[in-house]
Amino acid sequence: MGSKSETIHGTRSVGVIQGRSPRQIAWMRFKRNKVGVSAGIVSLTLLLLSLCAPIVAKIINVDPDTLNLDVLDVSGIPEVGISWDHPLGLIPGTGRDFLAQLLFGSRISFLIAILTTLTALTIGLFVGIIGGYFKGRIDNYLGRFTDFLLAFPAFFMIVALNQPMVARIEESGIAQGNSARIIFLVFFLSFFGWPGFSRLVRSQVLSLREREFVTAAQAMGATRWRVITKELIPNLWAPVIVVVSLSLPGYLAAEAVYSFLGLGVQPPASTWGILLSNATRYVTVMPSFFLIAAGSLVIVVLAFNLVGDALRDALDPKAER
Amino acid sequence: MSNISALRRAVVVTAASALAVSAVMVAGATSASAAVTPRAGGILTFLEHTPRLDHYDPSRIYTGRDLAFMNSFMTRTLVAYNPVPGAAGANLVPDLATNTGVPSNSAKTWKFTLRPGSTFEDGVKVTCESVQYGVSRVFATDVITDGPGYLQAWLDIPKDADGNSVFKGPYKKDAAGLAAFKKAVSCSKDNRTITFQLNKSVADFNYLATYGVISPVQASKDTGDKYDLRPQSTGPYKIEENSKTQMKLVRNSKWSRASDPVRTPYPDEVVILFGYDEEVIDQIILGDTIPTAVSFGEPLSTNNDKFFSEASMKNRRMNNPDPYARYFAFNVKAMPCLEIRQAMYYSRNAKALLDYAGGSTYAGSYATGVISPLLATDYTPTKVVGPGSADFIPEGNIPKAKALMETAKTKCPADYKKATETGIKIDVRQSVTLNDTIPIDTAAYARAGIKVTFNPISSGYYPTVMNPEKQSDLSASGWGADWANASTVIPELFASYGGFNISQNLGDPAQKAFEDKVNIAMKTTDRAAQSKMWKALDAEAMKAFWVLPTIFGKAQFVWGSQVGGVFFWVPQGNPAFGKMWINN
Repeated sequence: MGSKSETIHGTRSVGVIQGRSPRQIAWMRFKRNKVGVSAGIVSLTLLLLSLCAPIVAKIINVDPDTLNLDVLDVSGIPEVGISWDHPLGLIPGTGRDFLAQLLFGSRISFLIAILTTLTALTIGLFVGIIGGYFKGRIDNYLGRFTDFLLAFPAFFMIVALNQPMVARIEESGIAQGNSARIIFLVFFLSFFGWPGFSRLVRSQVLSLREREFVTAAQAMGATRWRVITKELIPNLWAPVIVVVSLSLPGYLAAEAVYSFLGLGVQPPASTWGILLSNATRYVTVMPSFFLIAAGSLVIVVLAFNLVGDALRDALDPKAER
Repeated sequence: MSNISALRRAVVVTAASALAVSAVMVAGATSASAAVTPRAGGILTFLEHTPRLDHYDPSRIYTGRDLAFMNSFMTRTLVAYNPVPGAAGANLVPDLATNTGVPSNSAKTWKFTLRPGSTFEDGVKVTCESVQYGVSRVFATDVITDGPGYLQAWLDIPKDADGNSVFKGPYKKDAAGLAAFKKAVSCSKDNRTITFQLNKSVADFNYLATYGVISPVQASKDTGDKYDLRPQSTGPYKIEENSKTQMKLVRNSKWSRASDPVRTPYPDEVVILFGYDEEVIDQIILGDTIPTAVSFGEPLSTNNDKFFSEASMKNRRMNNPDPYARYFAFNVKAMPCLEIRQAMYYSRNAKALLDYAGGSTYAGSYATGVISPLLATDYTPTKVVGPGSADFIPEGNIPKAKALMETAKTKCPADYKKATETGIKIDVRQSVTLNDTIPIDTAAYARAGIKVTFNPISSGYYPTVMNPEKQSDLSASGWGADWANASTVIPELFASYGGFNISQNLGDPAQKAFEDKVNIAMKTTDRAAQSKMWKALDAEAMKAFWVLPTIFGKAQFVWGSQVGGVFFWVPQGNPAFGKMWINN
């Protein structure tokens, strides 16, 4: 065998025709997309920086809780600017280090966004697969229920239920203070977020379950469990990854909105929303605070969205490249 | 009188005490365009941060600013403070009555005679009976909540076994109770003279008659709790709309100028717009985008410099000492350990918070007790807390706080555990400034190992914290004398019958002896001797740490370029809203 193939190689100077798995094709396509790759690097870097905030803060020697009240003027504006000690300067009002606040603040924002995405995804996958695979009456009921949730004014529900629900969570002893508020946000955002996932998964499953490899598995006597876990789920990853990379920045922005409105996490903890709501008060006297806080959120959301776009292009078998 | 938020901005409160005050306040007051003759017409607009005012029912309003507002436009009372600038503003003038009250029987009996021609907004005449009915409502303490409680304490009505009045208000049918009430508050045959029988001598009872608790209400129009949304007017304006976005007052055609010597209405309409962001309000006034607007609260402390250094704002701002002592009321039931209460006082960073609020220029000075220096007769530094006391350090006396916590550890371990592990919960009014003040507080208390959490309340602040069920461990608060006697401060805040005792101190070991001394002071008619007692009681209350005193405040007001006639109304601690006019 070995020698034969060598001879073929020798005689025809054409490269080996290697079989490539869909995954390799997708990766190759993704690598070709320069914007996607750089957005991916930016996203991962920022995500890592914020998840490792305590270590990063220690390395660059900044601390989110230290107040520098003595360098504030009468209006609360810091008299020192950007320096090695404070790479992004100080926050007006309290004189805390801005970079450290961003690092630790984004950590809570990411935590909420990631937890929400995972919860919504899990429920969405479960409901979507059941609906798509079993079709018929089950699908009918689940479908109407998701329609019902999608039609709900989620934003106003969250605004209206915030205080009583947080109080309920605190009374029940599950969590106190900000943990209770984070639980509330994650619960409600994912409660209203899963129907979108579920619809996508259902439509994928509906088409997958009619494909030959599923029919073959069924003909060979595979159990439902096996068909779902071994045949369907692996083929769902592509669309799921895309949706995750697009919905994560969506939830980041949502968290910022709720915290901005005073409905999310409360000070002294920090999030993008709190930093922004703080920054709006100083926008005329210290615009750099607002620009950096808003700009950092823009960069993160944009980077994640670009990665999502690039992934979608890469994973789409019908794409031209 | 009334309560105020300890954080600068929030609803400003009230009033009072004027007599004492004056020189200082007047110096600070500025008057725009005093030389120009006021003109009628236009729409006067107030911009407010909260989604509504706490109350509109005259029997339930106890917030100074809201009292000044409603009494200027809608609610006529038997007597009123004279709405003029300077010390004369603290003088009482007849309003619905023909005089400022006639005392007899060593001030145990007070008579007021109504002037003819005053009507409600539906044209019905104001009679003694309607005032009598208005007074009776405050006894329905389950429905008519939050107003001053003096009438229940002073009117000569028998008490039941629990010490409550036998009269339970007009909503419960009880002939005996009503008869007892009508004996204490009676009407003459011609229905024009109302007589109050008090259970003790109250030489300044007529000052209480400036409050809506003694104002006419038509029995047929009384809707109980709902009256709060749409009270009837006796003044020059009436409510046309009271919604989530605005309260709109229009002219009351039944009001006659001849019957009202106090009010001189100028604008066609008066509107309060609710729910504006504090920063937005400041920008509107700074940019003069609504030249007929008045900020109903104070400017954000971060904007003070812009308002007060800008020459173009010269006629559109004022900055005065206000009559409030601000403090945090400890819920003593939830925080029985004296050492921990003390440790909180000593670990708080008073300087950082005062600086944050604008320093001595805008925010005021460190409090030495709950009696404000503007109440000059009864004020002296307590030497227990604040400047003049041995252990007071503006940035916080951490060694002292730590030592106190050490004592608490063995003396009250359960409370120590709560303070250091679970955290002490503080009620505060929702405001963007919390983004800064919470981190400052958290860091300050942490220096002594005390953990704090915050409970921001977005509307109905005082009704919430005055409810023992809902109050947290500490509640931001403020109080100004109702009139120039600390009898409207010390008993109100710390006695079992006090109308604003949110310290819940009844179980405290020091309370009984304290209250006995308060009762003696209340009976003392020699004013000099009485003021000595108030000074001592102020110090004693501070020693018990039922409150954590913060600052004696200052208040800023700003308005648009077309608003004329703005001046500081000394006894109300607010601008005289009724004298404002539109100049365009």
